[in-house]
Formats: sequence, C-alpha cells, structure tokens
Amino acid sequence: MLERLIALLLLAVALPATAVDIKDDLGYTTTVPAPPQRIVSLLPSLTETVCELGACARLVGVDRYSNFPAQVNALPKLGGMDDTNVELIAALKPDVVFVAVSSRVAERLRALGMKVIALEPRSYRDVQRVLGTIGTVLGVPDAQRVWRYIEAGVNAAAASVPAKARGLRVYYEVAPGIYAAGTVSFMGETLTRLGAGNIIPPELGPFPKINPEYVVKANPALIMVGARGAQGLTERPGWAQIDAVRRGRICVFKPEEGDILARPGPRMAEAAQIMARCLREKVQ
Amino acid sequence: MSAIALQARIARVRIGERDLLSDIALSIPQGRWTAIVGPNGAGKSTLLRAIAGLQRCDGETRLAGRPLANWPARERARQLAWMGQQETGADDLTALDVVLLGRLPHRPWLAPPTSADHAAAKQAMDATQSWAWRERRLGSLSGGERQRVLLARALAVQAPLTLMDEPLAHLDPPHQAEWMALVRARVAAGHAIVSVLHELHLALQADHLVLMADGRILHSGAPADPAMHDALRRVFGPSLRIVQLEGRWVALPL
Amino acid sequence: MNFRPGVLLALLLAVGALAVAAGVLTGSTGLASLRDDGMALILWEIRLPRSLGAWCAGALLGMAGAISQGLFRNPLADPYLLGSASGAQLAVAIALALTGVSAQHSSLLASLGLTGIAFVGTLAGVGLTLVLARGVEQTLRLLLAGVVVGVVLNALTNLATLWAPDILRAMQAFLLGNTGLLGWNSVAVMAACGVMALVVGLLASPALDALTLGEFTAASLGVQLPAVRLLLIFAFALSTGAAVAQTGIVAFVGLVSPHLVRTLCPTLHGWLILLSAAAGGALLLAADVIARTVIRPQELPVGLVTALVGGIYLLILMHRRGAPGK
Repeated sequence: MLERLIALLLLAVALPATAVDIKDDLGYTTTVPAPPQRIVSLLPSLTETVCELGACARLVGVDRYSNFPAQVNALPKLGGMDDTNVELIAALKPDVVFVAVSSRVAERLRALGMKVIALEPRSYRDVQRVLGTIGTVLGVPDAQRVWRYIEAGVNAAAASVPAKARGLRVYYEVAPGIYAAGTVSFMGETLTRLGAGNIIPPELGPFPKINPEYVVKANPALIMVGARGAQGLTERPGWAQIDAVRRGRICVFKPEEGDILARPGPRMAEAAQIMARCLREKVQ
Repeated sequence: MSAIALQARIARVRIGERDLLSDIALSIPQGRWTAIVGPNGAGKSTLLRAIAGLQRCDGETRLAGRPLANWPARERARQLAWMGQQETGADDLTALDVVLLGRLPHRPWLAPPTSADHAAAKQAMDATQSWAWRERRLGSLSGGERQRVLLARALAVQAPLTLMDEPLAHLDPPHQAEWMALVRARVAAGHAIVSVLHELHLALQADHLVLMADGRILHSGAPADPAMHDALRRVFGPSLRIVQLEGRWVALPL
Repeated sequence: MNFRPGVLLALLLAVGALAVAAGVLTGSTGLASLRDDGMALILWEIRLPRSLGAWCAGALLGMAGAISQGLFRNPLADPYLLGSASGAQLAVAIALALTGVSAQHSSLLASLGLTGIAFVGTLAGVGLTLVLARGVEQTLRLLLAGVVVGVVLNALTNLATLWAPDILRAMQAFLLGNTGLLGWNSVAVMAACGVMALVVGLLASPALDALTLGEFTAASLGVQLPAVRLLLIFAFALSTGAAVAQTGIVAFVGLVSPHLVRTLCPTLHGWLILLSAAAGGALLLAADVIARTVIRPQELPVGLVTALVGGIYLLILMHRRGAPGK
C-alpha cells in the first residue's frame, strides 16, 4: 500500500516531464506518460509508420494484414477488422495500441485499461499528420525529417515522368463491381502529383461504383488495375474500343504492389515510383 | 353375383414405429356403394390411400383382376379416381380449371381440354350444383362450395371406381342428400363408389359396409345384418342405438 | 382486376420492350444524343446487351420463382430459398478462390464455365435441402431445411473468403447483384438456359397444375411424381444458376413476379411460368435502369433497388390483405 502511494507520487512528478496528450482522429484524448516500449498496431499503414520512425523493435503484435517490413511477420497476428483478438492483445500488455478509426475494439480495449489511439491516414496530408502524431507518441524528435524524405521521393518520381505522359488521362480500378479511384482518393492524389489526369472527377468521391459505360465514354489513355481484376478486362463489352486497351496501355499491378499503392503510409514514395514506372513504360 | 372391382390383401402399412394397418383383406364389389366407417384413428384414410396405390404397403391390391403395380399410371388413373380429405391449395385456379384437372388422365399430356372434357366437367359440376361459380377462384369459395367443386373434380374422371375420403365435409344436409342421390345414380350406371364416412346414419344406407378399428377390418357385410349392428355397437359403444326409421336404418348415440 | 393470359403477356412484353428502350437511351450520360457517332458503340455494344441481359436474368428468376412456388406448393417460395443461392454462391467463391478468375469475366468460355459452376452449386444446394427435408411433402420441413442449408453454406462461403481474402470484394459485388458488365455472351448463355428451362417447365406444367390439389391427388391422376419433380428441379436449378452466375444475387424478383401475375390473372401453370418470365424480365430491367440513372455516372447495386421495390410491394400486399373488408 505504501509502495503504491510512493509510486504514484513519483509518477505524478515524472509525468509532466515526458507525458504527452494525444488527440486522435476520433477526437479522443489519451495521455501517454512515457514513450511506449510495447506497441500493438492494428492497421498496416500505422505498423509501417511505427517502423519507419525506428520503433519496429518495440512492436509486440500487429493485425493480420500488416506485412511490411518483413520482420513484423514474426509477430503475433491479432486478427482483422472484425475478429480482433482482444484476449491476445490484453495478454501482450501493450503500453499503447494503435487502431484504425473504423475499428470496433477501441472501446473494449480502453475498458480493459489500455491506451488506445485511433488514427487512419487517407490522404497525403493525413500521412504527414499521422507521422507527426505517432512521432510525438514515440518520443521521436524529428518525425518531419521522415516526411521530408518521403516527399523528396515522391517529387523524384514525379520528375521521372516523361513530358509525354503529363496530362495523360488515367483510369484506376480498385475493385470489381466496378469501383474506381477518384481524384480525391489516395491513388488519385498520387496520380495528380505525378502530373497525370483522372477520368473520375472529384465530385464523385474517393471510390465510386462507376457505370462501366462511363469508362468507355471517358476513353482513358491508360488503365491501372490489380492482377485479379485485370482478367477479362479487355473483353468487357465495348472496352476493346478504349484507347488504353487498343494501345495495350494497361498496367497490371502485382498484389504486393497493390498493397503499396493502396496504403497511405511511409511507402508513399514507393507507390509514386511504381506509378511513375508504369507511366514511363507505357508511354514509349 | 357382382364382379369385384378391387381386391386388396395387405399384411401391413407401417409408418415410423406404428402399424397403421394390419391384416387387411378387402373386396370392393362392382356396381355397389361401399362405405367404410370406424372411429378416429382407425386407419380409414390410410386404407383408402393404400388401395388407391398412393401409400406404400406390405401386400397386394388387384384392380379389375390385375395387380395395381401392373397398371400404367394413366390407365389406372382412368380406372380409379381418388379424392382426399381437407385438400388445401389450388386457391388461385378457377373452379372450372380445377374440375378440368380431373380430365388429365383422359387427354394427351399437353393437349388443351377437348369438348368432351368440357362436357364431362359440366356434367360433374351440374351434379354437384357448382356450375354457377365455375369462373370464381377456389380461394374465394366457402367451405361447402369448395367441397362440391372438389367432388366434381373426382366425378369428372368418370372412372369405374371412385374412392372418396370424407366427401361430405362442410356439406349441409340438403347437399348431403344430393350427394347420396348422385352416388345412387352412378351405382345404377354400373360404377363402384367407396366412401369413408363419419356420418354413420348415412353409411348405413350403403350397399356394403366395412367397419374398421385400430388398423384392422372388424366386420364387413350388409348394413342391415344384425351381426354388423353388434359389431358397430362393440366399436362405438353400447350407447349407440341402431333403429329403423321409415324403412331405413339409422344410428343414434343416446 | 383480371386479365386474360394472352393480353397480360402482350402487356408485360410491351413494358419489357419499353424498358429496353429506356435502357438503351439512358445510362451514365443521361438521355443519349443519337447523332453522336461515339454513342453508337455505347448503345449497341454496352447498353443493349446490358438491358437485354438484365431482362433475361429477370425472366430466368421469374420462371424459377413460378416453378418453385408450384413445385413446393408454397406462395412464399423464392428461387433462393432452398439453398440454391447459397449453393451457387459457395461454388462461385470456391471457383474464384481456386482459379483467380474475376467474377466479372465476360468471355464466352468464362461465362459458360461460371454458369456451369453456379448451376452445379445450385443443384448441390437444392439437393442437400431435399435430402435434409426428406422429400418435398412437408412444406414446413422443406423451408426449415432450406434455411439450415443456406446458413451452413453461407458460413462455408465466409470461410472461403477468410482463406482467400482477395475474393472478398468480388463476392461483395456478387452478393449485391451486378448487371454492369453483361455483354452479348452473357445474353446468349442466359437466353439458351432460359429457353431450355422454359421448355422443361412448360412440359411439366400439367403436373404442377395437378400438384395444386396435393401430392396424393396428383398421383391418383396418373402424374409420375418422381420423374416430374426431377425435371422441375432441373429447370429451376438451371434458371437460378444461370441468373446467379451472370448477375449475382438479385433479391425479390423471383418471389414477386409470380405473385404479381397471380393477382392480375389466375391461370394454369403453363401460362403462369411464361407470364412470370415476362414479368420478372420487366421488373429486373426496370430496376436496372433506375439503378443506372439515379446517381449517374455512379450506379446503385441492382439488388438494392429490387429489394426496396420488392419490399415495398410486399408491404402493400400485406397491408391490403390485412385491411378490414377484404
């Protein structure tokens, strides 16, 4: 009892020194008393951000879909969005848990006494902000250095795009059904940075379910699609007439590349490079 | 000596754990009206289904001398008409369409009804006083009206042997009397009618009576036979009074 | 309101034709300007086959609904009720997971292959239900068995998507119904299946009529029940499987079309099957046109529209049945 009292007093003194108040994307404020040593991340982009900021060794558990960098694959996998393994997380005794904004376990974990911070980067600005937030949590002094490095990578990719490819109208298909990446989506932002155009205007939102006829009418010069969706794309009714199909300007991304392109995170520069390479190769 | 329309020897009919029928030896005379009576659960409906070939049984039924299994389906359907109890469904069809279904065994599979079919349907519906609502949907008819349409369906088959299970359900006395007149007319024309009846006083008017209890046939013979009356009293209880009224036998629980 | 069958058929086909016209004239860009050359491609290669395809899928579902309601003597029967949809869904999920083929494949071979797989899955689902229900005699048992089989097969489908998570999106699109990529190949496959199923259904329709009086009566009228049931289940599975393979799960069309026809025109099953096909085609196509036009150039999943429209229709029906004086 006495020990507890002394510990509390010490904590109260130590607290102002390194404690930080973090306001997460849901508006919830969490007090993190010290840089966490045991971190759980339940979103791949947050996992990558933590590692990028040099705290990879402090990760004790990640979600099922986190697969980069390679070393996180050795960590306990804590499930996906719907079936997060709360028990396992509690057993890991993390100092802080990073979750997605749409996660359903945040309340449960907080009720169990854990510190939960909800972040979900969806755009370039988000990535920068989340880098800063996580940097603050981890006590990393210059998270913005990482951001500048990423930005430089993106700009380099943009510079590598030939003049011919600028303004090229691109159609990026994200999922069957068919769903397209709009101008305001993350992929759309990357395309814009690279100087390419998008047949989906901003008012349709980030991932509209688009009428296939619209794509034919818009006649993109380049199509970007994941490997699974690429099958049968050229045989879709009327699509043989599309400029991109006629000229064979279809970039098919492998699943790993698809991951990079879809995750707004520290590998943004790589995403830009993948897209830039596609633009370079197809516009010969 | 009248011919035998149908002869059945059934060792048993078993469903699940229970024997619904056991040791049945039944002869249905041609050109006669046979009534089957018995308390609830005696197996009357099961017997009717079994001899119509609609229920699997351990035994053999012979229709006009031939085993039932040897009859091609449609030929048998022309020879033997069957009408069940409490049939639900067919609510959306018109009464005439329902009666015309009785002519299915007579016409080629996909052929539309012929004039002969229509004539037979009209005759049957006239006999049951249901012609007036032939264009109405079955679902919009009352219980009694519906029953008369279903009766007409069975009659439209014009089969030499007609089996009917509780044909008088929902029918009030005037229509019951009409039904009996109808039966008499067909019997006079040489057909055989078998009806399972709850109404004991009507069953006693039949030419031939079969009494069932607990899945067995207890007694069969003429309704006027004193042995039959004894058997009836044994089955239905001593309070059953069988008396003659205006020359006819009547049964009353008193 | 009672129509004669021939008149109602003409009416439904006319509505269908109008809907095809609407389908050709509207789309991602509103009313088409027929002078624009570039539109010719869109009209003939995209909108026409898509509209005809939607009509075919609706006709297949309407037919399957009429057959299943007659066969199982239950006005609530729906092409998806007896494990058919869950069976088709599971088969498609397994095929997608194992072969990596996109659910939106439009080539003839893939269309045929996927249709075949969905058909097999439909048969398997229905067969399982019938085995569980031990025959088609007892309606309640049949419906319960259908629910059980549906739940179990759906669980297996979820398992498949867990094991191969990249088919999740494809399955989602599949589940909500999708007419977006129907081409002439899909139309051909569906039309062929439709004709086959229609012929079988019409051949067996006298048996369905006899069945309305009950199984025993039908047997007493000389109907060969086992053979007829098999034929009808084949027709039912073929139409459902073909529709599901091409457009995914589209709610309510199969349930509502025969109801609509029966309300307007009480008739024997031969006409009922034909009329339900025409009604289903018109319904699904109309829903597709709405789905394409309301938030163009985006589109709603067509299954959503049919669920809304079908649900409202059934609510109105229930309200009228329950109203006093009826």
